[in-house]
Amino acid sequence: MMSTTRSPVLSLDGTSVPDRDLVGGKAWSLAQMLSLGLRVPPAVVIPVPECRHYLEAERSLDEEVQSAIRSGIKDLERRTGRRFGDPSHPMLVSVRSGAAVSMPGMMDTILNLGMTDAIEESLATSSGDPAYARDTRARFCHAFGEIVLKADLDPYVTGPTPTEICERVQEDTGRSIPADPYEQLFDAICAVFDSWQSTRAKSYRRHWGIPDDGGTAVTVQAMVFGNLDDRSGTGVLFTRNPLSGAPEPYGEWLPGGQGEDVVGGTHAVVGLAQMREHLPEAVSELLDWADTLEKEHAEVQDIEFTVESGTLYLLQTRAAKRSPEAAVRIAVDLFDEGLIDHDEGLARVTPEQVRSVLMPRLDPAVAAAASVLAAGEPACPGVATGVGVLDPDEAVSRSAAGENVVLVRPTTSPDDVHGMIAAKAVVTDLGGATSHAAVVTRALGRPSVVGVGKGTAASLVGRHLTVDGRSGRVYDTILDLVEARVEDDPILGRIAAWAAGSSPLNVVDHPVEGVEVADLDLLLTDLSARETPIDVDQITAALEGFSSARGAILATEQGVRAAHDTGITVVADCPLLVQLTALRTLGTPGA
Amino acid sequence: MTDLDFLAVHGLAIRKAGNPASVAVLLGADEADVSAALDRAVTAGHVAGANGTFMVAPAGQAWLTEKYQTVFGGLRADGDLLHAYERFEKVNGDLLALMTDWQTMPAGDARVSNDHSNPDYDAKIIDALGALHERAERVVGRAAEIVPRLQTHLDRLEAAYDQVLGGAHDYVSGVRIDSYHTVWYELHEDLLRILEKKRQE
Repeated sequence: MMSTTRSPVLSLDGTSVPDRDLVGGKAWSLAQMLSLGLRVPPAVVIPVPECRHYLEAERSLDEEVQSAIRSGIKDLERRTGRRFGDPSHPMLVSVRSGAAVSMPGMMDTILNLGMTDAIEESLATSSGDPAYARDTRARFCHAFGEIVLKADLDPYVTGPTPTEICERVQEDTGRSIPADPYEQLFDAICAVFDSWQSTRAKSYRRHWGIPDDGGTAVTVQAMVFGNLDDRSGTGVLFTRNPLSGAPEPYGEWLPGGQGEDVVGGTHAVVGLAQMREHLPEAVSELLDWADTLEKEHAEVQDIEFTVESGTLYLLQTRAAKRSPEAAVRIAVDLFDEGLIDHDEGLARVTPEQVRSVLMPRLDPAVAAAASVLAAGEPACPGVATGVGVLDPDEAVSRSAAGENVVLVRPTTSPDDVHGMIAAKAVVTDLGGATSHAAVVTRALGRPSVVGVGKGTAASLVGRHLTVDGRSGRVYDTILDLVEARVEDDPILGRIAAWAAGSSPLNVVDHPVEGVEVADLDLLLTDLSARETPIDVDQITAALEGFSSARGAILATEQGVRAAHDTGITVVADCPLLVQLTALRTLGTPGA
Repeated sequence: MTDLDFLAVHGLAIRKAGNPASVAVLLGADEADVSAALDRAVTAGHVAGANGTFMVAPAGQAWLTEKYQTVFGGLRADGDLLHAYERFEKVNGDLLALMTDWQTMPAGDARVSNDHSNPDYDAKIIDALGALHERAERVVGRAAEIVPRLQTHLDRLEAAYDQVLGGAHDYVSGVRIDSYHTVWYELHEDLLRILEKKRQE
């Protein structure tokens, strides 16, 4: 087959933003930051067509691509003033996969590639911290062994020496971690290409109808050294507060740290204010750039950055994760700032977020005056009240009789799940925030407190309890909860007005007088057994002969579809929840 | 008495209550055979049943505890199985942490419920679940060399993961379906019962 001129390696220099399908999402995002005039560590990309060349050539990198990669590394050396594999002034690189659409099964990032015995020694000398140098190298060996050589290793913990890790890798795979930096690089690039054909990636593509003949690009980027000196470090910056949504940047800074340290949460971090005292120019540049990125994406950004000897580099930017309260506030603020319109604002708020903002809460004054019977780890947020019951069967029968029940257990096993479903809240003696009980209660949305201490559950039996899954406290007696309402919340009120204007369904909070309303909670009870989710046809059938309906199912995807197909009016205590679900499922009318 | 007479009650006990179909899925056995075995267990007084749903009776719990000694006694001293179980507990810890990452997410220095509005975040966890599944295949595979029946759980985990890859995200940790966590929880319980180990959480 004749091919057009081959360019096995592209340099990302900010002069243009290459096609996302050609270089993958990762490199595309770097190129975009560069084109905005922001500084990122120098990078080159091996584009997607090279993946096909490699797979067609029976998984080998031909001479042409190998020599292009060597030139690419020379390019990075020129731009960093460092040299790959040279202990006196070492350049280390990261290697990442990057398909146009990211998918499971693609190779994870390898950091600090190019690390050798001699470089570990020179890092130990230059940093004055041999333990740190050894740990960095051990991390590299672990990642290379696990990700490139597919060794079965326990998750990384500081401790084992690089030699021990290499031996373990050799034992498990029969392969060793190359001492030569270029060999490391070529192996890592091959591993990225191979990962396109991993079982997981293939099944993902089968599910989503993505063609198998695409491929992935490989981004090779110079590492910046956040651990170089006392004017170096790494951090993350949120352009707004991710918990409250307040339009103030929120940052975490780890002086002397490398990127993975913040992510791994292994070191103590400090706030932005302390960073500013130390590195005022870097901080003001960072805030400037953060503003540029937020405006460019019209979305709150979560930005990873590193400072090397006072010079700021951006590593990555993406939409920030946020609390439900923050999501709602930010949607309204971005609208007010003219960055998004109504429809986009509605698309940014999920029904789950609204449900969470509206969850009943404990009045802090009431909680402070109440007596605490037990305290443990908060496992699922929310507050609920009921009588303490030990036996799951009893929980089921009493709840069926209309009582509010709190299931209190020493531990929980799968045969307690029916009791957890029946209960309003769950308390356990043992276990932590990552126990089976915690996972099940979160999946059910039942407030829960775990690990209250051996024997405590038994002492709660028969008592009236208030369980606060946010603070991890169990209070004596049934306390009054504060009900949140859309009308009382000015921000939710704005969103409710947008939703009412765009809703594809007719939703009201009170039925028209004299109209008979179908109650789907009652009509569909027989269908709510395990393994069979209720489908649109069943709901449509239940709606026959009615012009209005109410019921929890109408705030689900199937429910809004059935309501739309039948043209009924939905009666709901909180129309906003149904409208948001309808907008997500059916789209905006006329759009 | 057949092996299935014992296994049907054991399988039912893992779920506490269920119909023959759900116990058959859990055991990887034929539904009609399980149904017949459960009927015999009702006659023996080990199981209570009504309208096709069965539940282990108190007498059945005591009977199981006694049977475990004789049926699983040899396995409880099997070094290879115990070793596989130890590895399983390690993977279990990581699985529960991963489930927690799926259900909650960081917002600054706090953790909040994951409302699944951030596809990139979810995609990373789905990928990590795949990597964990590969570890589970090795560990549970080793146990299944000794107790072949355990392979069924692995097949069910595979099916749950496949659903997740196809976009049915409830199959990560949903409770009322055979999600990855539901199946894992049952596999864990099965192993604990075989080896007479105490649950730590």
